Amino acid sequence: MAFDATDIVLSIVKIAIVLSFVLSVTPVMAWVERRGAGMIQDRPGPNRVGPFGLLQPFADALKFLTKEDIIPAQANKLLYTLAPAFGLLPALTTIAVVPWGRPFVIPQMTIGGHVLFTGGRLFEPIIADVNAGILVVFALASLSVYGVTTAGWSSANKYSMFGAIRSSAQMISYELSLAMAALGVLLVTGSLRLSDVVWTQAGSFVLFDTIRVPAWNCFSPGMWLSMVVFIAAAFAETNRLPFDFAEAEAELVAGYHTEYSSMKFALFFMSEYMSMATMSAVIVTLFFGGWGIPWYHVPPTFLGFLLSAIAFLIKICIMLFVFVWVRWTIPRLKYDILMRLGWKVFLPLAIVNLVIVAGFIAKGWI
Amino acid sequence: MIPTTWFLILGAILFSIGVCGVLTRRNGITIFMSIELMVNAVNLTFLAYARQFNQLHGLIFVFFIMAIAAAEAAVGLAIFISLFHHRETIDVDEANLMHW
Amino acid sequence: MFEYLVFFVFAAMAIIFALVVILHRNPVVGALSLVVSFFSLAVMYVLLEAPFLAALQVIVYAGAIMVLFLFVIMLLNLQHRHEPSTRPVQQFLGYTGAAAFLITIVYYIGKYAVYTMPAGPFHADARSIGLALFQAYVFPFEMVSILLLAAIVGALLLSGRAIGHRTGIGTETTEEPAGKAEVSR
Repeated sequence: MAFDATDIVLSIVKIAIVLSFVLSVTPVMAWVERRGAGMIQDRPGPNRVGPFGLLQPFADALKFLTKEDIIPAQANKLLYTLAPAFGLLPALTTIAVVPWGRPFVIPQMTIGGHVLFTGGRLFEPIIADVNAGILVVFALASLSVYGVTTAGWSSANKYSMFGAIRSSAQMISYELSLAMAALGVLLVTGSLRLSDVVWTQAGSFVLFDTIRVPAWNCFSPGMWLSMVVFIAAAFAETNRLPFDFAEAEAELVAGYHTEYSSMKFALFFMSEYMSMATMSAVIVTLFFGGWGIPWYHVPPTFLGFLLSAIAFLIKICIMLFVFVWVRWTIPRLKYDILMRLGWKVFLPLAIVNLVIVAGFIAKGWI
Repeated sequence: MIPTTWFLILGAILFSIGVCGVLTRRNGITIFMSIELMVNAVNLTFLAYARQFNQLHGLIFVFFIMAIAAAEAAVGLAIFISLFHHRETIDVDEANLMHW
Repeated sequence: MFEYLVFFVFAAMAIIFALVVILHRNPVVGALSLVVSFFSLAVMYVLLEAPFLAALQVIVYAGAIMVLFLFVIMLLNLQHRHEPSTRPVQQFLGYTGAAAFLITIVYYIGKYAVYTMPAGPFHADARSIGLALFQAYVFPFEMVSILLLAAIVGALLLSGRAIGHRTGIGTETTEEPAGKAEVSR
């Protein structure tokens, strides 16, 4: 392992940037979700605190902080306390393998004749560019089930328990579809590294000699099935409507976090939005060209890096809005329909898509 | 570069813990988890040797062991569910009939 | 130096949580500790230069098998069940047997399996694993797929509720478990 002080500093800078993004997702999304719900349901939504209710998340946070932190008498205290952390951990760490901008060569920086940075070093905007990238995403996504199950079990509450059991069955089922749907993309890329996935989507292909279409996976006909399956499975993995059986309000009070209050509940709330953001980042990376900007060749300079990072952020925001939009549009399914859908529709569709992509590659069309 | 021997010793310790669990516990699920622990200890040993001799064969073996462990978990847990439905227990001492 | 630190921390974690698995009375706590132990083993795999296998370890063991264990423990509501302790003689024999086994095996590892450092870097990326799997090991690979299919069928058959009057695999049977009647008989 050869790394020097500069590498460590750069890593810390990257981690700081990514963490500040992931942590700021929750307040922003709490506002977007509630205003979006208002918009879709033709009502104003929260608009009392601050202009357009923008300060509402801070009011909520204040409320969470001042609430009493209750631990049920029958609960397993250790696990009850640890469960929110279990939920938060995968949500915070998955984003490490997702590239979030164009790599650029750091120019030499001097302050008053003193060389601060010997330039020429390549800055790769990804925390850990491991060669098993997408597998790490799946591994950490599969760990997110423990937060829910531990919370549900340790609360010693029927409803929590049902939420936990449902969610563990659901996550196992949909993880398969998720991985199978991503396989098509990996087949085209020929690598598990997420930065390679982005690079293969750079550039564009020409349709009918006139229209230039960005070479994103979502525009290639072999990927449409897997894109739909992947996004649906991502909804299920992040426990969002129409698949939020872990916390179905109408049936289970609040599901696995029925007994939670105060900051512990806030942590679950945060981890839900963080895992949504992470999943959006993965979806954007796999199907919507990652940090690529359509019809623009991003130069390997600081400006290019900045533009590509902003493009990535905009794509994630659009994807997050889709999450909100779907939540307030599609009603919750029945539990048996959910399981049937996962095993009998999504999984076969993902496998069919894999065969289609393999056929395309064999024909040389992709 | 950590010496291979250390990994072997770690594998041996984990394997012995698994043996101990199988020998002393009566809860079927815990015994089953101890078996999984032993399987993992063996995996670690395989991988340590694979790196030592720079050959992929040990690694491929780990891959197969994982697949078989998944199959084993599915069937084993199904057996325990079946046992529980028939005898209302998963204590392995109670499972003393060859059929029911 | 950093590697050694990681090794010792995660080796200690693996051993401690493995001990919790076999000593704790509550199977849910046992299953969760086993997850932590497996996760530490995944870190060991990274140290052994096989990140691909480390990811697989987390996906297969922590993400699938242990969730299945937890699911079954919670479904059968086993955590309230009191487990009678094993007879002291057997317990003593179990602990001493395992300890004797450990001492023997560590002795022989120390005697015969002390290696100098491996010669070259170990290339265990997805590409080389895939090539090995589909060239040299293609027959075992297919065998494993058949085994998995057999396991699916076996699991379905075994966990089917009403063995006495089943109308077909996967069809909904009545809620009254036939097993109860059979036990009383």
